[in-house]
Amino acid sequence: MSILENISPIYAAIIVVALPFAAFIIQAILGKKSQSGNISLIAISLSTLISLVFVFAEIWQNIPRSATQPWFTIGVNTFTVGILLNNLTVLMQLIVCVIALPVHIYSRSYMKGDPGIHRYWMYLSLFCFAMLGLTISKNLFMMYIFWELVGFASYLLIGFWFTKESAVQANKKAFLINRIGDLGFLIGIACVFTMYGSLDLVELFGKEGLFYEKHIDNPVLISMAGLGFFLGAMAKSAQFPLHVWLPDAMEGPTAVSSLIHAATMVAAGIFLLSSVFPLFNQTVLLCIAVIGAITAALSAYFALAQTDIKRILAFSTISQLGFMMVAIGVGAWDAAMFHLVTHAFFKCLLFLGAGAVIHEMAHLKHDSQLDFDPQNINNMGGLRKYMPKTFILMCIASLALAGFPLTSGFLSKDAILISTFEWAIEQGPAYLLIPITLTLVSILTAFYIGRLIFKVFFGSFKLNLAHVSLHDANKTMLWPMTFLGVCSLFFVFSLNPISYHEAKILNGFYVDYGFAEIHSLHILIPIGLTLASTLAWIIGWKWYVKGNYPLNANGKAITFSLNQGYINQFYQNTFVEGTLKLSKGLYWFDRTIIDGLVNLLGTVVQSMGRMSAWIDKYIVDGFINTLGQTTYYIGHLLRWVQNGRLQNYLGFAFTVLLIGIIYLILT
Amino acid sequence: MITITHFLIVSAILFSIGLYAIIAKRNAIMILIGIELIINAAILNFVAFGKYDKVNYAGQIFALFAIVLAAAAVAVGLAIILTVYRKYKTINPDKITDLRD
Repeated sequence: MSILENISPIYAAIIVVALPFAAFIIQAILGKKSQSGNISLIAISLSTLISLVFVFAEIWQNIPRSATQPWFTIGVNTFTVGILLNNLTVLMQLIVCVIALPVHIYSRSYMKGDPGIHRYWMYLSLFCFAMLGLTISKNLFMMYIFWELVGFASYLLIGFWFTKESAVQANKKAFLINRIGDLGFLIGIACVFTMYGSLDLVELFGKEGLFYEKHIDNPVLISMAGLGFFLGAMAKSAQFPLHVWLPDAMEGPTAVSSLIHAATMVAAGIFLLSSVFPLFNQTVLLCIAVIGAITAALSAYFALAQTDIKRILAFSTISQLGFMMVAIGVGAWDAAMFHLVTHAFFKCLLFLGAGAVIHEMAHLKHDSQLDFDPQNINNMGGLRKYMPKTFILMCIASLALAGFPLTSGFLSKDAILISTFEWAIEQGPAYLLIPITLTLVSILTAFYIGRLIFKVFFGSFKLNLAHVSLHDANKTMLWPMTFLGVCSLFFVFSLNPISYHEAKILNGFYVDYGFAEIHSLHILIPIGLTLASTLAWIIGWKWYVKGNYPLNANGKAITFSLNQGYINQFYQNTFVEGTLKLSKGLYWFDRTIIDGLVNLLGTVVQSMGRMSAWIDKYIVDGFINTLGQTTYYIGHLLRWVQNGRLQNYLGFAFTVLLIGIIYLILT
Repeated sequence: MITITHFLIVSAILFSIGLYAIIAKRNAIMILIGIELIINAAILNFVAFGKYDKVNYAGQIFALFAIVLAAAAVAVGLAIILTVYRKYKTINPDKITDLRD
């Protein structure tokens, strides 16, 4: 036991990352023989255990540890790889493990019988490996590698059902949009390297790091670096206007959506921004806050009219990520991380619950031989009678998402909102727009998640079936959900249910806020928000459960929301069509102008050749031939004279004589 | 009165006939006769011009020589013709073209 106790957290962290990778390799080698997922499950369980006991417990609130290993040298610059363990990274690593574990357990039952299940476990392990590696990277370059791997693994997972055209389109879209973000990340890395000549996070942002020691007086470059990192985070964390991939990514298996949405891929953007936070100047921070607020508002609005249960949750995720972005923008990145952690649990639960519902609906579809969309909430209703446990768990998660007191969401959302208000008051009246937007978004959040719960679990079942056989999911799916449900409650994070200041996670980061605390807000905002959310629920109850729906379902605002603000169409028309047109134009240019020129040149040369050939044949050869033929004819003429006939000879002789005589006479 | 011009004209006529016979006839004998006619035209000229050389009668002498020569030439010619005939079975000069390559 003493050896176990003395194990270095660095090695433990490496093992945590390496286990899913090993599982990935083993699954890949075994191929179709391994369908149970036991290997992946064991790997992630061990990872979680080690991460909790040997990494998190050792480092949290203790001295940060790090290890560096030189990798390669270019010129005088040595690039390193390393492990960095501080409060931020160990927390993130633990959360990834703790979310990935229930998703793995859940998947065992959810994905059972899928023909590609061996691939599923393989991809899932690869994804976990990439994400865990990302969390503890000490070096921006190493982080970028894992960042790319996460993107690649998500590409595989989103397109898991690759025979479905929509899934293929969705994973392509996710990959392409993430490439835009990756480019931003790369620009950020390049800028940082230009300024400081190092990519090591400790060397850069440590207490005596280059960032504080070496003063760079180049605001443009610093802003560019910040914006570059932000662009990377924008794509990964689905911020407006690069959010379009996330709703489409719902084409992947629900368990995957849950994992991607909860703590891993989309959270990576928040994690990245928190890691490089000191780099951001005022301009970039404001930009982050504004984009975050726009994203939160727009996606909450889009969530209002969606009918696909998973799409509502997807927009909800985008909206919540917008909250986190705003928190980073105002300087309260600890609040962002706190919300990331609490959000991870309840959003994961929401997705798993939705997965359970979809699972049952799909079975019903299969049994009843009817053709309906098992994900459309308009086909559901009254499910609380059939699936009571799922219903309770979904309610807890929804209350947490809406920020109801006694839930974890209440704590973290208030942390963000209050910080934002305090920041805005410090900055000036115009800045109040951002917290006010967030307040409205909070109320909208309560409304749309209420709509989802009401439409799915209340009222009566919408489909006209003689026999409805729906029941709760089996234990393999329910246990992880229950675990997540418990983690969505306040006591996991703070013993005081109404004050976020006692939250252990929040206190783990020592962030100096650039604004003063305003005590009255800490009472006013939670009360006001709770009341407003309750009001939103009452309205939702009247509309959706009582059936007093006052709006025209085909109204402009609703159609606009349902179509996601036509942003996809806009992209389709501008970028996709534009690119296609440009390509067509270039093709035409290539075909007509370039090829035309080449062909013209060819024709000219060919003609010149023909002309030369003609000249050679008729002028040069012709001259020679004429000469030869003339000679020949003269010869021929003379030959005719010499025909061997005596009389001819005589005749000639006489003629010549005669000519001679005439000549003599004439002269 | 018959002047030297008349002799010369007759001589020219004879020469022309002789020449025609040499060039156009298809019989070697006739060609020989043509040659004789030319020689005769020449002899006639000699004789006619001999009227102006009353001292030496050179014209008449030359005429005699020419007659002898003509007789000899005809003998030679006939001999050639006979030989040619023996070789080619013809005396048509058009058909004897072995002088040609």
